[in-house]
Amino acid sequence: MMTLETELCGVLLKNPMIAASGTFGFGEEYSELYDISCWGAISVKGLTNRPRSGNPPHRIAETASGMLNSVGLENPGVDAFMRNELPRLARQGIPIIANVAGSTIDDYRESVGKLSDSPVSIIELNISCPNVREGGVQFGTSPERVREVTSAVRSCTSKPLMIKLSPNVSDISEIARAAEDAGADAISLINTITGMAIDAKTRRPILANVTGGLSGPAIKPVALRMVWQAAAAVSIPIVGMGGIMNADDVAQFMLAGARAVMIGTANIVDPMAGPRILAEIENFMQENEISDIRELVGGLRTS
Amino acid sequence: MKGDFHARVISNVSIARHVSDISLQLSLDAGEIDPKPGQFAHLSSGGVFLRRPISIAGFDKKNSRVRIIVRNAGIGSGAIASLIPGESIRMLIPLGSPYPLDLFAETAGVKKICLIAGGIGAAPLIFAADFMREFNEKKGKEIFSVESFIGFRDKISSFGLEEFERAGTARPVIGGLVTDALEKSLAHDRPDAILACGPEPMLRALQGIRGLNGIPSYVSLEAHMGCGVGACLVCSCRIATDSGHTDDDNVRYRRVCRDGPVFKLSEVVFG
Repeated sequence: MMTLETELCGVLLKNPMIAASGTFGFGEEYSELYDISCWGAISVKGLTNRPRSGNPPHRIAETASGMLNSVGLENPGVDAFMRNELPRLARQGIPIIANVAGSTIDDYRESVGKLSDSPVSIIELNISCPNVREGGVQFGTSPERVREVTSAVRSCTSKPLMIKLSPNVSDISEIARAAEDAGADAISLINTITGMAIDAKTRRPILANVTGGLSGPAIKPVALRMVWQAAAAVSIPIVGMGGIMNADDVAQFMLAGARAVMIGTANIVDPMAGPRILAEIENFMQENEISDIRELVGGLRTS
Repeated sequence: MKGDFHARVISNVSIARHVSDISLQLSLDAGEIDPKPGQFAHLSSGGVFLRRPISIAGFDKKNSRVRIIVRNAGIGSGAIASLIPGESIRMLIPLGSPYPLDLFAETAGVKKICLIAGGIGAAPLIFAADFMREFNEKKGKEIFSVESFIGFRDKISSFGLEEFERAGTARPVIGGLVTDALEKSLAHDRPDAILACGPEPMLRALQGIRGLNGIPSYVSLEAHMGCGVGACLVCSCRIATDSGHTDDDNVRYRRVCRDGPVFKLSEVVFG
């Protein structure tokens, strides 16, 4: 008997695959292609207290083995999400993770307060969006601010609280520890790496926002390293992400210390990435005689 | 119904400079799909990371064959344009909103539909022209009266004239502006609807034609895309609106891949 189950701050996931925020909308588009309840959980598009229209186009640039985006947290706001999207998502019977961004601590508190009375299973605090001037990442780049925003939100919800960390920092270990110290139940990493692309012919940036967030296989080595470092620094569960495209990538992140993984950009390249990678994981476990996927977590052999 | 299918190249014919006319056989599980003119497919291609959105230029339902007409405009589209028979790719199809031809077909009387194409923008309109011709043939009478203005920068870049001619009257414009030709024609002949696809300067010029006021006009927009299904929000265009969550000047971002690619010409706010 083989089990893919894993657990995240008291929430049971039937498999370790979570659809990453920002690449999966509110699930509706992909539910037209396959049964989205195959995911272990879904983290919804980043929500803000008020609706946001996002950044002007262009918002995407292709890179070697990846892409830059500068969507800028376009979303209908927490209230509309709870009214129009969450009831449908909650019927999927899998944990729903609300990704929350904000420009002030009060924003975060107000949004999380509203979500605390909703059927979401976990709050994922987005303090790492690189695409908005005052939308989170300023809370994510110093341990003091991470501590400040985490404890402020901690005191207004009893929902499990996961902090999504930015890779745009010099020491991920101290950031991870700050989140843990301030009461986070889990951390997820990495968000996108700030980058840019230039059209040499027109001498203009490709993204209207000039800079954007890099994702895809291009960032996987950085992500693996940061998950491994964070895992050594904290004892709360870690959700790893960054360029996961297949089951082998999933296993690599789990070996580095992730209890679950998020899959994002893969959905953009392959609309069937969810069911495909899930089937691959089952094959991987069979081929490698793994009966319980949790045995991979932190199983990296370094000596 | 839409899905992500294997598609095998049946033929690839060069029909103009840098332009390939490709027929692809969809895998058997694609039996239910029914693409309409204006919709597109999202194609994987070797050598680049993201898929490429390509207009559907025709669909043979009986044999599950998709026709695409692709211009080699870079590494991604170039890889697709140079596919050879026997090769397979992934194709997510059909995506986006079609031109409202079904709606026109339901209204009474002969509908005078004017097609405005610029360059590779002719591809979805070839599908529209064929669709209307076949519709007339099926009904045994003229439901659609089709007039096409098709602009190309030069003779060796032109293609598709036969299809437009077969559907009605075709007015090729080589090296000039289709919008000038349309404007002259509007002085004595008003169509019931306009369907357009082409480069942004052409669409802007179309928007500026006074004589089009009151004629329902639809354009298919192009955009760099991510997912192609509406989830990732990177292919936004600006649409004028007086409601919804907007920024300051009553402009709303809409997804070209899902809310479009076909929009009302009057609503599009060019950047």
